[in-house]
Amino acid sequence: MTAGLRLLMLALFSLLLISPYFPNPGLAQPRPNTPPPDFPPRVYEIARELRCPACQGESTAESNAGVAVEMRRIIAEQLAQGKTEAEIRQFFVDRYGYWVLYEPPFRGYTLLVWLSPLIGMALVGFGLWRYQAAARARARTGVAGVSDEEIARLESELNLNPEQRKP
Amino acid sequence: MLRFWPIWVLLAGGLFLWGMQRSDPDRLQSVLVGRPAPTFSLPLLEPYRAQYGSEMGFSSDLGKPVLLNIWASWCIPCHTEAPLLERYHQKYKDRVLFLGVVVQDTEANALKFIQQYRLTFPSVFDKRGRIGIEYGYYGVPETYVIDRDGTILARHAGELSEAQLQGYLRKVLE
Repeated sequence: MTAGLRLLMLALFSLLLISPYFPNPGLAQPRPNTPPPDFPPRVYEIARELRCPACQGESTAESNAGVAVEMRRIIAEQLAQGKTEAEIRQFFVDRYGYWVLYEPPFRGYTLLVWLSPLIGMALVGFGLWRYQAAARARARTGVAGVSDEEIARLESELNLNPEQRKP
Repeated sequence: MLRFWPIWVLLAGGLFLWGMQRSDPDRLQSVLVGRPAPTFSLPLLEPYRAQYGSEMGFSSDLGKPVLLNIWASWCIPCHTEAPLLERYHQKYKDRVLFLGVVVQDTEANALKFIQQYRLTFPSVFDKRGRIGIEYGYYGVPETYVIDRDGTILARHAGELSEAQLQGYLRKVLE
């Protein structure tokens, strides 16, 4: 291999390495969450509250699964028909259950889901209060169990001058 | 509270065992089970038009149970399931209507699939999967078992095994 060819290959390799740092507008990909121009942003606002049935951890707004694309289309159609957001959400709840909503309603069985952190905190608070009450009771019992003679000795030792305490 | 630790351990253990025994933790019960199946009518794929007409779908006056199978040619489990469905369609065609709904596919690919597995049960074409959403589907394949009164008895997400299919047919023909 000649020195010139080696230099050319090195230059090409270096270019390959640094190329990710220089964005190429020809190869630019759209940001995944950018709404395509055919749907108004309101479609995505509603879709963001709905779980994608075919994917894990993605909303209907983010997913490109066929079912999510069709759900967005249904949202757009129903908005054009003048339906409210609540009516559109209910349309999907009737077919998929409350599972499809990222925020379940504040009533019925799902109320338990909303209240569970409060119930958990209340239980922890009750446990701490019981523990502290037991510790206080133990401390009181401890003092009551010490004889008068021992208390007198302790008090006399505490009242000693610092000089007298030295051995 | 710590005095009752054996109870807490038993409770946590019970919950763990219950969770482990579920066949598929991601599988959710369909809210449509026990409710009337949504009615629809869609264009039939070409090979079935001579026998069934240009359109077909589900309506409550069919008078016989329906096994509604949602499929697509690009779906791998659908390829395994298709010969099984065809075999049981041949066996039960007088008593149960096997109806396929092709979703999110091209007509050409769906026709190739039908030809490949020589499917004789009718299939309708729902390019965008709108009927799937009406039935609350998650993906393909999915099968809905509808009794002769038009009520959804069961929803099966994923590929059907022969034993499962037999079980559903028994259930619907009881």
